Amino acid sequence: MTSNGFDHGKRGIGVRNHQLILPSVVCSTHISRRIASAVGALSFSHQHGCGIIGADVAGIEDFFGALANHPNVSSCLIVSLGCETIQGQELGARLASANVSTKYQIIQDSGGVEATVSAGILAARHLQESYPPVKAAFGNITVGIDLCRESAQIAELIAGLSEVGVETIVARQGKSSAENFSQLMLAKAHVILSFPSPDQPASGFPLIPVINVASESSLHQGIVADFDLAHESTIEATISRIMEVADAQATIAEMNGTGEILAPRLVRST
Amino acid sequence: MSHSPIRAYLRPNGSWGLRNHVLVLPLHSALSSSARAIEDACPGAVAITHDWSGEVDGDLQRIIRILAGFASNPNNFATIFLSLGSANEEEIIAQAENLGLANVVHLSLPHIGSTKLLIDVGIREASDLLVRAHEQIRIEAPWSAIVLGLECGGSDALSGITANPALGVASDRLVELGAMSVLGETTEILGAEHLLAARAITQDIGQRIIETVARYEKSINYEGIDLRGAQPSRGNIEGGLSTLEEKSLGAAKKAGNAQLSGVLEYAEIPPARGLYFMDTPGHDIEQLTGYAAGHINIVVFTTGRGTPTGSAIMPVIKVATNSPMAMKLSDLIDLDAGSIADGMETLAEVGTRIFDEIIRIANGCETKAEISGNHEFALSRMYKTIVSYDA
Amino acid sequence: MRKILILHVNDNVAVALTDISQGELISQDEYLFTAKDNIARGHKLATRNISINEGIIKYGERMGHATSEIRTGEHVHVHNVLGDRLSSEVK
Repeated sequence: MTSNGFDHGKRGIGVRNHQLILPSVVCSTHISRRIASAVGALSFSHQHGCGIIGADVAGIEDFFGALANHPNVSSCLIVSLGCETIQGQELGARLASANVSTKYQIIQDSGGVEATVSAGILAARHLQESYPPVKAAFGNITVGIDLCRESAQIAELIAGLSEVGVETIVARQGKSSAENFSQLMLAKAHVILSFPSPDQPASGFPLIPVINVASESSLHQGIVADFDLAHESTIEATISRIMEVADAQATIAEMNGTGEILAPRLVRST
Repeated sequence: MSHSPIRAYLRPNGSWGLRNHVLVLPLHSALSSSARAIEDACPGAVAITHDWSGEVDGDLQRIIRILAGFASNPNNFATIFLSLGSANEEEIIAQAENLGLANVVHLSLPHIGSTKLLIDVGIREASDLLVRAHEQIRIEAPWSAIVLGLECGGSDALSGITANPALGVASDRLVELGAMSVLGETTEILGAEHLLAARAITQDIGQRIIETVARYEKSINYEGIDLRGAQPSRGNIEGGLSTLEEKSLGAAKKAGNAQLSGVLEYAEIPPARGLYFMDTPGHDIEQLTGYAAGHINIVVFTTGRGTPTGSAIMPVIKVATNSPMAMKLSDLIDLDAGSIADGMETLAEVGTRIFDEIIRIANGCETKAEISGNHEFALSRMYKTIVSYDA
Repeated sequence: MRKILILHVNDNVAVALTDISQGELISQDEYLFTAKDNIARGHKLATRNISINEGIIKYGERMGHATSEIRTGEHVHVHNVLGDRLSSEVK
């Protein structure tokens, strides 16, 4: 069993020690990215948080909440504009009450772009100093399996992982790997093993290392270098790769910086 | 007609660019981070990122149209497409060329072999294109070189009194001189559409704007959802706006008093001089995307609450509706119209300042958003992106 | 300095150009009344009595209707106004 985990308090034990700079609205994505790159944290772009109605208001708020509370997150800074549908202040207060290593910064209250970036950098550094990495041994890890295509070995693989004390969750209903990744994030998967559709590329997720398994498709064979595992990989090789990644080895998607999220959306934009 | 002071880039199809960008456009969400990596390595190049993974659903034609229009905006000198080589991606590139994009570089991931190599090749191509872009020069251009987009976001109760009607003054003057001006945000003319219809140049166009709003209203009612909560937004309500109609009556002031020459679908290109209405969401960034895809080359964005919003390819001039916010958020506001509410300036005076600022920025001076490098992007979708919340 | 702005002669609301305190006297042009609530800059106040369900008129256009009696000088906002369109709570 891996010993390279990180104790993230109420979030649980993670296989990565990511500080997340979370934009609560599309309007704060660029500023979040600037803060993240200045402090070595992680951020991502999305187009949500405003002009949303119906089920999506709670849906996206819960989605952001789950990102902030994922076990691979050490601390989280929420960057809000101030007037969006999802109020960063309330999201921040709610998440901060669940987890002390969460702070929030509001652009409209901070005095502009540069003032928000500087204040955000200070807040992020302060979080890093207050919550230094704490190594922890794992009881067990959860591996999420994205099945956008069928794999003949899947039952055998799950049994093999179970033997070494690894829990598995399978996501196969999504329209795309991106949707399955979101489901697996909500289920707090530490590592994702992705079997993308034959016509889809290898992909990643910001907080969670994604191990991509190639198929025989011409697309996948054309970009084998983007895949961690070849299509004929044995169960043993797959399990050993999962263990290495859980033990801090970077996946190819992590090395390439590939990692986009697909935030849920059920209702048309307004 | 007065002599135009505009200097712009003439594109091979006769359109005019107010900027000369090298754009890196990923055609699949998994290529977004590669586009960003190329942008980061090549100062001067711009990239967008998005979450479309090639899904074939009811939004497919809309997304093809958005990406093709965005790529071919006359503000782009060239566009580097990153693709997986699918037929729909090829269609986007072909449409962009039909819409006038002259300099196309198509980098296909499977052809190149790996993401790492794709980034390396992209950096080399972007650097070469930046050198060629620098060789382009601005030349004298007619008033029609200006295709102005009108936008408001984070509105307060002063929006309809200060910044919006002052922008209306500037828009009217540009339309009079031969430019194009486009109003958007269907959500935010709901309750004011009869006023715009009365100004339409033909009865058909007037009828079309009424129908466009009705179509929108029906689609929201169909969802069985109370629009309030999103419209007016909580920020709007804090700012003093009580109903959607009140917001709309103020928002429509951006379009001044000019006659309405036509109604455009989302991302449609206005055909000739005049004032148009484009059917867009009220979501600021989705609206900006529709404008860029509709070949609008400069935007004036009025705001009561203040926002850092910018576009990768269009200069976005931010006009504050109130002076306290303009002072507090000075590095994201280009111009303050709050003086109208204080009785310090008239609408006509602020309208002239906005007009002058449009020309200054059109000629190459940078907006606050361009200086800070802020550019966000959002695809506008009519259909869901997920199967359900409990999948 | 002017405290309120009337946008159209037909309007039954005015826009506060400054923060107005409860009890403050508004004396401007033909208007003379006392503010019944604290009214923040940009928010609206009634310039005459408005009965329940009567239209709220701003810019000379209807922007919704009163959900309760509103007296001259009262704050006019979401607590006593509802839009006519796309507001399901009205049903």
